[in-house]
Formats: sequence, C-alpha cells, structure tokens
Amino acid sequence: MGLSSGSNASEAVKLCVFDLRRGQNEGQELDKILFFYPADLPFSTQLSVTGLSEGLITFTRIFSPEAACDVIEAEMHSHVFYEAEPDIWMVMVVEKNKDSEAIWRIDALRRVLKEVHSLFVMFHGSVRTLVDKEPTGGFVRRHLYYFVMDYLSDFFIGKKLQLPNFRDSLKERGTVQMLTMGREAAIDVQSLVRVLESCAGNSKCYSLTMFQDLLVSTTLSPDDTVNLYTYAVLRLTPQALSSGVSSWSYLRKGSTACNTSAGAVMANSCPSVDQYYNSGDTSPVGNHSYHVVRPLQHDKWSRGKDGFLVTDIWGAEFGSSIPTSPTISLKHIEERMYLCAYQLNSLTVILLIPVSSVLDGVQGIATVKQQILENASLKMFKVEEKLLRGWGGENAYHVGGYRYLLVDSDRYISRASPPGKVTTLTKDSLIALSKLREEVDSEKIRANSDGLGHEKDLEVCIRAKNNAWLIARLTRGKELYMVLEKANETLLYASDAVEKFSDRYCNGAFSLE
Amino acid sequence: MHAKLIALHDTATSIGAATSSGSRETLVDVVAAAKSLNVDPSTAVSIKFLEWWWMRWWCRVGSGGRLDFNLKKLKKMSNEFESELGEFEQEKNSATASVLKRILLNCSAQAKQYGSCVAARVPEVERDMCLKEFLLLKNCMWNLHREQENVDMSGKASSSNHHGLNVSGALSHVYIQYPPLRCTLSGTRSFLYDDGNKLLLQLTSDRIFSWKTAPYDPNVVPSSDPLCEGPVLCIRYSLDLKLLAIQRSNYEVQIWNKQTGDTFSQKCRSESESILGFFWTDCPTCDIVFVKTSGLDFYSYNPELKSLHLVETKKLNVSWYIYTHESRLVLLASGMQSKSCTGYQLSSAGIIRLPRFEMTMAKSEANSKPILSAEDVHIITVYGRIYCLQFDRVAMLLHSYRFYRDAVVQQGSLPIYSNRIAVSVIDNILLVHQVDAKVVIIYDMFAESRTPISAPLPLLLRGFSRASESEELSDAEIIIYGDDWSFLVPDLICDVANGFLWKIHLDLEAISASSSDTPSILEFLQRRKLEANKAKQLCLAIARTVILERRSLAMVARAIDVLMTTYSQAVKAGSYQKRTDTEETSPSGVSNLNSPNIVVDESSGIDASGVQQEPARGIENESSNRFTQSTSGSDGSVSFESKKMTSHNLDSSSGITEGGYMVEPEASGAQVDSSVVQSQILVAGNKALNANASEQQESQVSSAAISPADLYRFVFAAIEEEMLGDASYLISIIVEFVRSASFEKLKVDPNTYVFMVQLLARDERYEELGLFVINKIIEPSKEVALQLLESGRQNIQTRKLGLDMLRELSLHHDYVLLLVQDGYYLEALRYARKNKVNTVQPSLFLEAAHASNDSQHLAAVLRFFCDFIPGFKNTADHHAYCRIVADMNSSIAT
Repeated sequence: MGLSSGSNASEAVKLCVFDLRRGQNEGQELDKILFFYPADLPFSTQLSVTGLSEGLITFTRIFSPEAACDVIEAEMHSHVFYEAEPDIWMVMVVEKNKDSEAIWRIDALRRVLKEVHSLFVMFHGSVRTLVDKEPTGGFVRRHLYYFVMDYLSDFFIGKKLQLPNFRDSLKERGTVQMLTMGREAAIDVQSLVRVLESCAGNSKCYSLTMFQDLLVSTTLSPDDTVNLYTYAVLRLTPQALSSGVSSWSYLRKGSTACNTSAGAVMANSCPSVDQYYNSGDTSPVGNHSYHVVRPLQHDKWSRGKDGFLVTDIWGAEFGSSIPTSPTISLKHIEERMYLCAYQLNSLTVILLIPVSSVLDGVQGIATVKQQILENASLKMFKVEEKLLRGWGGENAYHVGGYRYLLVDSDRYISRASPPGKVTTLTKDSLIALSKLREEVDSEKIRANSDGLGHEKDLEVCIRAKNNAWLIARLTRGKELYMVLEKANETLLYASDAVEKFSDRYCNGAFSLE
Repeated sequence: MHAKLIALHDTATSIGAATSSGSRETLVDVVAAAKSLNVDPSTAVSIKFLEWWWMRWWCRVGSGGRLDFNLKKLKKMSNEFESELGEFEQEKNSATASVLKRILLNCSAQAKQYGSCVAARVPEVERDMCLKEFLLLKNCMWNLHREQENVDMSGKASSSNHHGLNVSGALSHVYIQYPPLRCTLSGTRSFLYDDGNKLLLQLTSDRIFSWKTAPYDPNVVPSSDPLCEGPVLCIRYSLDLKLLAIQRSNYEVQIWNKQTGDTFSQKCRSESESILGFFWTDCPTCDIVFVKTSGLDFYSYNPELKSLHLVETKKLNVSWYIYTHESRLVLLASGMQSKSCTGYQLSSAGIIRLPRFEMTMAKSEANSKPILSAEDVHIITVYGRIYCLQFDRVAMLLHSYRFYRDAVVQQGSLPIYSNRIAVSVIDNILLVHQVDAKVVIIYDMFAESRTPISAPLPLLLRGFSRASESEELSDAEIIIYGDDWSFLVPDLICDVANGFLWKIHLDLEAISASSSDTPSILEFLQRRKLEANKAKQLCLAIARTVILERRSLAMVARAIDVLMTTYSQAVKAGSYQKRTDTEETSPSGVSNLNSPNIVVDESSGIDASGVQQEPARGIENESSNRFTQSTSGSDGSVSFESKKMTSHNLDSSSGITEGGYMVEPEASGAQVDSSVVQSQILVAGNKALNANASEQQESQVSSAAISPADLYRFVFAAIEEEMLGDASYLISIIVEFVRSASFEKLKVDPNTYVFMVQLLARDERYEELGLFVINKIIEPSKEVALQLLESGRQNIQTRKLGLDMLRELSLHHDYVLLLVQDGYYLEALRYARKNKVNTVQPSLFLEAAHASNDSQHLAAVLRFFCDFIPGFKNTADHHAYCRIVADMNSSIAT
C-alpha cells in the first residue's frame, strides 16, 4: 500500500485524526485531517492514509451503519479504527514487520486511541465543539497536536514509539487499579471523602483519592474515574512528580525517555501545526494569540508548600502570578470543574468543585483550600498512615505461581500480577496469551453485536506449545486471564488452580463448576 | 398584657441563654418594642437587665473566647441602662406603674450602683465583677417582688408565673415538685433525719413518727413508735430497724429494742469527755459508733446481755464531726481552727483510716484565725467517689477534696456568691445552693471540670396550682430558700416551718436546652442514671436536631462518638440491658441493710469485686412513678480507689469502675443487649420484633446509653423524610456513625446498611454504593443483599453486587433462584449442582430455557433433570417440555 515510506522505526506507527464532515470537495481533502503523526510525512502520504480509511468506512457503513469498521488486517499493516465522536475518526496504522516485538492486539491499540481521546475531551471538550469553534480548523489542530504529541511522548523509548504489544497482555488499558484495604481503613477513607466534599460549602463536589498509583475511593462515575485516574497516574501521583522513579503502572514506562521526546515535540511543533493553516482557504489572523493549554506536558506539576499540587499549565490570571486553577469537564455533568489536588506523602486527593460554585476564581479556590487544610488535614494524615501500614508494597497483589489479569468490566477495575513478575514469563506464553485475548475480544464483540443484553459466559483453557496453561474466563462482566507455566499437564489441574484462585481472591466469582 | 409580658420575658431569657446571639438590642430598642407592644417599658427594661446579667455571667464563666464578645455593646448598654433608670425616676408617680416597674424604681439605687460598677470596669470583664452590687440588687428586686406578689395575687387568676422573681423563675434547671411530703403533725415541730435509714423523724411528747423518704413518695404514711419522756438530742434507728438509739444528753445514749421492749443506757466513762453524736454502722466488727470529744468508740451490740460491748477506741481530740451514711465516712475536726481533719470509713470491708489533712482557709486579716465550723463542711458522693467540700467564707470559695484510700487530694475550688450555701447531690450532679442569692449552680464533677453545667438559675416549684390548693397552702408558706429550710443528704429539703419535705429534681430538658456544646451535653446526659430513659430520649432528640440543623460534620461526628463510646462502655460494664426487676423491688428498708462495698484490693480488682458484691439497693421500680425514684442511685458502691493505681489515669479508670455502671452479678455477662442479639439474627421481618423489644426496654432502661440500632431507628430513620433533599449530608453522617461504631467494635444494625443502600441508590450514586459494598463498609447480610437487588432494578452493577453478596453469604437457594430469574439458567444449574441446591423448582429452569428459544439449551436442561432428579421422567414437566423440544426441533428442521 506504500504507506510505510520511511525506514525510520518510529514511522512504523502512524496515527491520524480526521473529520469526515470537512473537506467534502475535491482538492480540499487535506482539510479533513485534524492530526497526523508523524507530522513531517508528506501530505500525499497523509492523504493516502486518510483516503483509504475514509473509503473503507464509507464502504462498511453500507452493511453496518452503526459500527462501521474496526480493523483492517493487511499483509504489512494493521489499521485500527476508532470513531471517537460522530464522524470524527481516529486511525492507527501499525507495521507488521519481522521485528519480533511487533505483535499487536488490536483492542489494546484501540484502547490507546480511546484513552487519548477521553483525556482530550476531559480537558478541552469534544473535538467537534473545537472544530466548530473555528472553521479553519486551526484551533482544534493546535490543541490536538500538542495534546496527542504530549500523550505519545510517554510511549517513546529512545527514539522509538513503543505501543502496547503482546508483552502487555496481562494489562488492561482504560481500567483503574484499586487498593485493597481493611474495613476500618475504608471507613476512614469514606469519612475523609465526606469531609473533603463538604469543604466547598453546599455545592456538589466530587473527589478521587489515591494511594501511590492505586485508587482508594471515588465519587465519580466509572468512566470519569478512569480518565481522572489515568491523568493522575501520568502526572500527579508522587511517582509521576518525581520523574525517574520507575512505576509498576501500565500507564507509565520508565520516564527517562519522556524528556527527550517532549523536546522533540517542542522542536518541530510550530511548522507542523501551521502547515494546515496554509493549506486551508483562510489563514487565521493572529493564530498565536491564544494560549494552548497542554495538560500532559511533562514536569509541570509540583507540590506546593501547603501540600497542594500547583502547575502553570493553565496560565495565570491577568496581573497576577498565582496560577489559574485547572478546570476539567466530566462526562455526565454539564458544568466544568475546578481540579484541586492535595498530596500528603503517598496519598493524593483530588477534589472537583463546580466552577459556578466558586464565585471569585482564585480567591474562592484559596478559601476551599484553606477549608481543606483546616478540616481534613488531620484525617488525611491518619488515613495515609493507616493505608501505609496496611499496604503490601509493589508486589502486594502477586499470587505465587499465577500470572493473571482480573478485569471487572462493569466498574473498569483491573488487577494484575506485578509487571516485574510478568516479565518472568517466556515470550511464547505471552504471545500465545495475546492471541487468546484477541480471540476473546472478538468473541465479546460478537456477543455485543448480538445485542441480547446478556453477558456471555466463556471459558477457555489452552495448553500452549511450551506446555504453559493459558486460561480465560468470562462470567457476568468479570474477566480472568491467566498463564500457568511450570504447571501440571492435566486439565483438571489447571481448572483446579483457577478454582482456588477464584475462591481465594475473587470471592468465588469464577468458581461455577 | 400579662401574656405579652411573658412572651417578652421568654424572648429576653432565651436571648440571654443563647450565648452566641450576636445581635442584641440595646435598652432603647427594648423600650421601643415594649411600647409598641403596649407593655410597660419598665418591665422590658428589667427583663433587659436580667438579660444583661446573663451576659455578664457568661462573660465571666466562659473562657477566653467568650470574654471579648460584645464588650463594646455591653458598655453602651450599661450606660443606657442608667439613663433609662433616670427617666423612670421622673415618672415615679405615674399611675400605671406596674409591679416590675415598682421593683425597678425601689431598687434603683442598687441598680445604679451595679450598673455604674459594671460600666466602670467593662473593658476588663473578670470573675466576680461587681458581685456584691449585683447580689444587693437582686435581693432587693426579689424581696420587693415577693411582697408585691403576695398583695396582688389575691385578686388575680392564676398563671404559671408567680414564684420568686418570675422574670427568671420560669427558666430553671432544678425544681421541687408539688405536692411535698407533709409531715405536719399537730404539736411539735422538731424534725430529725436518720440518713442511715433515710427516715425523717418527728417527735411528739410520747411518740416518734418516721417517714420513709426513699423511695420518695409524697403520700407515704408514717409509722410510729412510743418514746419515753426526756430530752432528745439525736435519734437513729439501727440499720435493721430493730433498735432505736436516742441520745439523751452529752453523756448518755439510750438504746431501745423494739421487739423486746428492753431499754438500756450507755454512758460516757468520765466527765472529761462528752458525746458529740453517734451512728449505726454495717461494719463487720461493730454496730454503733459514738463520737466523743476524746475520740471514737466502736461498740458491738450484744442482744443476750442487752448491752453494748466496747470493741475499739480511737483516741483523738474532736471539736466536731460529720458523717454521712452513703459515704460511710466520718470526718473528725480537730485543732485550733478545727481545720485539721481525720477520716474513718466504716464499711462492710472494715475500718479504713484516712490520712489526716488540713483544710485551706483564707485569712481575712493577718492575725485572725477563722474557725471552721461543721456546717461549712459537706461530704458528697458522686460517681462513687467521695469528696469533701469546704466553704471558705473569707475567700468565698468552696474547696473540694477527693478521698483516695491512701491520700486526700485537693481538687480545686468553686466560686460562691452567697453567705449561706447548701449542697445537694442528685444523680451524681452537685448542686450548690447559693441561698442568699436564691440561685443554684450545678456542677458535674465527672470530668474534674470546675465549670458549671449551665448558668445559675433559681430553684423552681412545679406542679403547684394556686387556685386549687389555696385553702391548704397559703402563699406565704412556700418560700424558696426560706430561713427554715434545711438540706438533707443527698437531695432532700426539709421546710421545718411548714413540715414539708421536698425532693429536688433536675430538669434535664432545660439543662440540655441551655447548652450549645452538643458533644459535652450529650456526655452529661449519658451519665445520668436516675432518669435514664428521659436522658436517652433527650439524647436522641438532640441527635435528631443537630442533623436537621445541618450542623458541621465534625461536630455531629463528635456527638455520635460520644454516644457510641458510652454505649460501648455500658455494654462492657453490662449495665445496658433490660431490667428484670420483679425480684429486685425489695422494700428499701431491707435493701438498706445491704452493705456497700469498699474495695480494699490495691492492685486491681476494683470493678470486679464491686460487681460481685453489688447489692440490689437503689433499684426501685422506676416506671411506677416518675417522682418516686431512687435516692440512692449510686451510694451502694462507694469505693476508695487506690491513689497509686489511679494516679496515672484518674479519669479513665474511675470511669469504668464507678458505681453507676455496676450491675447485679447474675445479670452481668449472661444477658446480652437484646437488640444486639437481634441484629445478629438475620430475619427479614425483624423490624417488627425489634420494635416490640425496644418498647419494653424503654420503660425499664437503666442507662441512657443508646445502641446503634436505636440510633438508627430513632434518629436516622426518623428524620429521613425531612432530609430527603440532602441525602448526601445524611450519608456523611451515617458514614461517621459507622466509623464510630467500628472504632468501638460495635455491631451496626443491618437496617442501617439497608437504609444507606436506599439513600445512595435514590441519589443514583451507584459508584459510591459499589465502593461501600466492595470494601465491606456496608457489611453483608441478607437484608442488604435484597435491598441491593431491589435498588439494582435501575442499575445492573448494583444488582450484581446483591447477587454476589447472596453467593458469598452462601444463600444458595436465593442465589440460584435469582440467576434463573435473570435468565442465567445454565449458570444456575451448574451452581445448583455444585452446591447441591435442590429446592428450586425444575419448571423454573425449563421455563427460562424455553424463553431463551434455544432448543439445545432446553434439551440440555431437560437432560440435566432427568439425570439428577430421580423420577423426573414421570413428571408432567418432563412430558410437557419433551414435546416442546420436539416441536422446536421439527420447526427448525422444516
């Protein structure tokens, strides 16, 4: 298909966002493109990717107007489609080269697209509203460019963009990891949450509490929780603030690479964004007049003296040096929210306050912060202490002999063997698991499209070539994936192992037999 | 006019009582308001004066924070007060001058003095500021008003408004209830009180009449015994009421055996000593103790020889002594100033000598040495601790000393505002009657705090309707704090002139209404034993109110903490349970024979041995009459704590061991709080059961402790409707409640969790609900599971939580049934087989399989039952569904 023009490894991946409603006339096709990575590819290449994608979408819509196209598997490439908003499509093209690492699971890739879009919407609102804001598209392009590039910078290892591959089979993007705690600690946390949410007077606030990179409590809806949690793990938690410390979260790789790639974004930003303006009909006047908020920019958050996290990402108010409080929007609530984060050692507390309830911006937020310090700091201290005491450390959720992934798809919660333990698995096992998950994914899609509203129960137990047991179990919204190497050869043994695991760690959710 | 006056007065006093009220009108405003209401302005001003006094009081009582409040206003007011007074003087001859106006005019000199005194000092408000001026003014007003009232009342119809100075009279924390116990026998008016047997004795020329005062019953009929002629200095019945000892002179005590009629006398051995008094004791080694100027003589009574046998003598110079039976403690004063005291406790455990200690006395001048007199020293028993209170007339302070087994420790001093004081103890509350000022100040000694529970207020007479009783009781007869009042231990007042015996009551409601510090008032109420049910109801009402008023979360949390902590303590001590009091209602005369236990064990064991020996005394049938309650709430369990043991933490150790918490041995441990038991029984319909049990409980509660179940029923559930608009606040409160209960390791009623689920679901906060369930904050129970299923109709995740909870609780039948209902019949079958559930009808599975329109599945289900249920092949279900499967297959085939 001639898409992989460059031999550069980073160009093995292409990512584009385009709007089908734009550039309807011939010769204006370039107008469709809202974002393209790598940005320095010639327009012709960019157009050929979007053109092919659009063609496929149009074609498949004939048969399936609701869900047009998921993926194209070509000989050399996989095209992953994601319709982020009506007629706003995101397409990722990955190369299937002989490089042994390039074994992808489509759903894992799609979840990357989904994640970047969700985060974008949380900070900037929907792509469509941004498109409508300025007909030339300059506004949305500028925002998308900085945002997606900042996002992708987390995936760079050296100069290479490393997307989630088979090695991440025991991880699930778009879920939160929760801290398991005792009842008493849980009650204390809830008590803290109530106090926090009462700090902003009578307006309805929301909060998210984290310990290290693990979620402790939330009063947000599951999808909003996932978004905010993802952002917090990427940029706000103590590990994220002190870059250099490695994380066990799937969301962050070793962050040494981040700086270089962030620099790369800076270096070639302006020309790449501007090229679309020039290609458009009208050139926006003073296109640098607005400040582009880059929430995912690295090293912009820091912990203030009072324990609150501060950033100048959102700029400062006129004539003052006090940074403007960040605002985000939630999926199920119309109003924008102030994001107010407090950190005490390992404990991170994020409070969301409706913008309308804070009358005079900076001053109002300062009052709320004061309230938090007065009413809740002692409680936070106690909670942190209690959680720290009960925490089993990085490998707390390791279960000897098992390598597992547990997903509650209703609540977007997952738990997995610690990454350090997963790396002990052989490549063969991981590739086999990746394939198994691919199968299960398509089975799930099929069940969904049947639309019975009936959750499919599924049970797969495979003996891989290397004699590892690969197990997948789906029951009533819960999924369990497991790799048992060095296991006995009988199926009975494998299913017993699952049973034991289920009784012990899943309240018997998977023990139906 | 009268009604308006009361209304105005009410607002004024309520303003006065509310310490936080920031917007006080000035006197000018008050006068203007009074005029518009057609109320005499002077009335309003005098009311204002009282309010002002209130403010002054609070300024003085409160610590730092209160001192500075409204100082400017206070100063302004006092200036205005003076100018107002001037105006009134000009109107002196006005024909419309009212009672209160007259008071004000006649006392204007005092008022002016007081006003200017305060005005002069106002920026530096301090303790006892202008006290003398104030008392003068108050007395003047009081006397005048009383005179006036006596004149006026003849022509006026009754109202509730006529005792003492009514402006303040209606508000009161302590009261005496009409009718009194009347001991009006013709002839003599000499009364004696036998505190060992709680008998009020009255002597006529040849008989002795005795009224039982415990339990207090105004209609009690006196019993009488014949009495030989001769002088009587003191009379006491022996503790078994069989002997009567009469002190005839300073040298002779006569003892009369009621059963045999024998009489004999015991005399002093020498002329150099004289008998100061005597008392009977339940000490094992002796029966009666004579206090003589030369020391103590312990005698035992010998029925055969009809004589007293001297057991032991303690040599000591004694100038005077005091003894109370409830403390079993005799204090002997000696020395030049009579301020050096030695104490002996004569208890069932033996005789304990307390170390000698010196009372503190301030000197008025350098060389004067005031002599301490017996009436200035009081022994009181609160919370099972014994204190000695000593009135220092020079310093105007009431010093308190606490007795430990091996030490006497001075505990601090209370201010006194009167030259005559009296002390009463009701339900472990100390009342200090400021007799001249005609107010009573109440203290709770529990927390070693010297701050009064509330502002000083007069003693009130209640239940007295002048119209109906006027022929029996004329106005003049009831004089609050009259000169003829004598105060009996612990809570009785004898009006010697009229022959009335009053019992003092606490108005818990008024006390709780006048305090704004909710957690501490709850603590106070929780400690009340005498009117435990009332205290409990008040606590519940307060809890409801603070929630309805949306008070701050931290404050409500502290209030709940108080309730849960005391409940937990009560459960541990075993005092929270139903009274099974049929066998316990023994006549008090008999119960008085039981010995109090003095704990000798030094190392530990205070509570243990206390419980073992705790007699049934003090347990009266509380439900029979509100006002005939025990007067001996805790006196049976007086104990000296070892100083060594308690010194590291006086409060906490005593909190557990104190008498009030002790229970009958047969009750402790074996009985468990009924609601706790119920909360563990997972019966769906236990709401009704619970209600019945609690109602019974209410009439018999012995402790104000509130169980988590009660807190739910009478607070959370009761205010649910009013809180509908703000469920999140209520949820926060319940979270605090759960936290508090979990901290105290108390079981929370499943209904509370059901309630939480309902609240969260109603607000569609399913995510939080999920967290609550997953983290087991909402503890699993069948009730909760069913509620989750119910609330899960709108939210499938919540429904799943309910199902999971059923499974985790091993409620297999319900789980399988619900799986089938939701269409998961195959899973249900597998689960049923695994857990051997055979109580679910096969037809349900078959119907579900049929509904799914999958012939393979239906066939599989059919096969399953054929294989696993013997005889299924012969049932109608089998035949019917075989046909259906056949039909389905044929339709597919064609």
